[in-house]
Amino acid sequence: MSLLRVQGLFKAFAAIRAVDSVSFEVRPGEVYGLLGPNGAGKTTTISMISGLLKPDAGEVVVAGTPFWSDPQKAKRIMGVVPQELAIYEELTGRENLEFWGRMAGLSSGDAKSRATELLEALTLTDRAKDVVKTYSGGMKRRINLGCALLHRPQLLLLDEPTVGIDPQARLNILEFIRSLRASGTAILYTTHYLEEAETLCHRIGIIDHGRLLAEGTLKELQERLGGDRLFVLEADLKEAAPESWDGFLSRFRVIQKTERQLVVSALGARDPSECLKDLLGLPVRVENVTLKRPSLNDVFLQLTGRELRE
Amino acid sequence: MKRILDIGHNDLRLFFKSKSAYIWLFAMPLAFVYFMGFANRGPGDPSNRRPPVLVENNDTNFLGRALLDELDTQGMWLLDPTNRESAARMIRIPEDFSRRVMAGEQSKVGFFKRDGSAKSDAMLIEVRLVRALIAMNSHLLEAAAQTDNAPESITEEQLREVMKKPNPVALDAKFAGRKPVPSGFAFSLPGNLVLYLLMNLMIFGGASVAAERRNGVIRRLMVHPVTNLELVMGKIYGLMLLGAVQIGFFLVVGKLVLGVNLGANVPAVTLTLLVLAWVGGSLGVLVGSVFASEDRVVGLCVLVSLLMGALGGCWWPLEIAPPTLQKIALFLPTGWALKGLHQLISFGSGFGPAVIPLIVLLVFGLSANLLAARFFRS
Repeated sequence: MSLLRVQGLFKAFAAIRAVDSVSFEVRPGEVYGLLGPNGAGKTTTISMISGLLKPDAGEVVVAGTPFWSDPQKAKRIMGVVPQELAIYEELTGRENLEFWGRMAGLSSGDAKSRATELLEALTLTDRAKDVVKTYSGGMKRRINLGCALLHRPQLLLLDEPTVGIDPQARLNILEFIRSLRASGTAILYTTHYLEEAETLCHRIGIIDHGRLLAEGTLKELQERLGGDRLFVLEADLKEAAPESWDGFLSRFRVIQKTERQLVVSALGARDPSECLKDLLGLPVRVENVTLKRPSLNDVFLQLTGRELRE
Repeated sequence: MKRILDIGHNDLRLFFKSKSAYIWLFAMPLAFVYFMGFANRGPGDPSNRRPPVLVENNDTNFLGRALLDELDTQGMWLLDPTNRESAARMIRIPEDFSRRVMAGEQSKVGFFKRDGSAKSDAMLIEVRLVRALIAMNSHLLEAAAQTDNAPESITEEQLREVMKKPNPVALDAKFAGRKPVPSGFAFSLPGNLVLYLLMNLMIFGGASVAAERRNGVIRRLMVHPVTNLELVMGKIYGLMLLGAVQIGFFLVVGKLVLGVNLGANVPAVTLTLLVLAWVGGSLGVLVGSVFASEDRVVGLCVLVSLLMGALGGCWWPLEIAPPTLQKIALFLPTGWALKGLHQLISFGSGFGPAVIPLIVLLVFGLSANLLAARFFRS
């Protein structure tokens, strides 16, 4: 059974459809990645799942119970890590953890002992008594994450938890999230970092302009491009029109075309060397042809016509 | 309920992490209490004023000294001759005062007006002088009776023995109708406490709510199993705790350091101030909920609280304000808080006269609290 089921979620702000008929589910022990650029609707989706916003249409079901039929029950099951550093910078790391633990319903004693455990797990024990404003960006992010974990939530919503930190601190956080996944926590993880989605998530939903464009495992998404490899052809393509090339579109799918680059995948089970020969025979002066594995960016490119990094 | 307490205690801890809090809670108001109390001091107790008077005693015998003592007993503030400029009136005891009285002749004590002195002060001095002279004549008659009606044989010891005796009939004088005007620290302490309590709670409440909304803490609180009402009540409770600390500090300092008589009903004084803290805390949360920018919140809170303080009688007694301003004060929590506090502190009333101001303050508190809950947002 899924721990979180989102069905036909819809939210509009005036004429802007921030989230448009989004549906997905997250199972225990699974990391579901919601991948999309800034402004795609990820935070609005999380806000509706956590009860900060009421959807205009659709339903959020947490552990089998519709969220709005008993919001307090749903909130006790979930932990939310916001994108911003929503912690008290004037308090120490320990004071922050204990306070948010009490807010999650723990007794003072339980909050204290759980804070000790989490400080250890987040490798912050030696800075526990320092005020948070003296922490580095990565340490603040870890405390921000820890504040949502005091009550051992079954469902964890992580809204871009690694924004603005250095690569090492990011790796530490991702490792910690993997340990949570291993303990059976269902995790909804929003990000605009492709590598995070590729390496961390079991399943990925690609969202843009409020719509969920595709979802599946990384492999399933890659297969949407027609295979496990892409051909990148570099040439002067200013005047080139692939649709006019004899039978080209019946043999290749165009993923991206710019003035200097053409990215295509082969249709059908074709030998790569045969495809290369085919590409070198195109009516353009080819400077280089390379092969690469399709990335999530390529999937995004194919779905939206632009790169996720743009 | 547990979460309300947790939020309140956490907020109190946060307030005291800020060094500026100590200045605004304690140092600044204390300085204003002292300077305004000093500048606004009136002689004597507000309900028993003692205007200053200068006495020139030209008599070298004991009756002149006895008259001076009697004037003091009657509540006259006798000035040192070097301080003659501040006297409201002057009394001159003639050189032959003792000789003429002992000889059974009438002696006239001079009473002189001084330019620029208040009429009311002059009247008080005149009344007390008349009372002193009547008492002096009575003492002399009683002492003479002990010497077979021979005033010339009265000794100083005999006269002072008579003066020590309690009067068979005493006058118990109290204000009827219009109450005296509070003055000195008895005025500046409640006035500044009301002003700074309201100002601090509005600023701390408004700025903290606006800041926590900006940095996402309010949103984070709302994704926990905490209801909106619990959140608002927790915030207001934290501000009331902060107010309670300020109230406790100023009542203790007022009584022990500044010597203010807090009246017979200190619990009622404390209760009135705590209800005002509820009003201030609720208004702070309301302003912080409505306005997004912390700068705007602080500016508005300072402006509103200063206006309410001035119009409510925190800086000058409402008794001396024009009737229009006295009417405006009826629409302000500061006006009602001071009405209750002056009843309890300056006029020595029991709880009864403070009940109506307290009820009105409760209505202010409830209204502000409901509005804060209505407009509270993430």
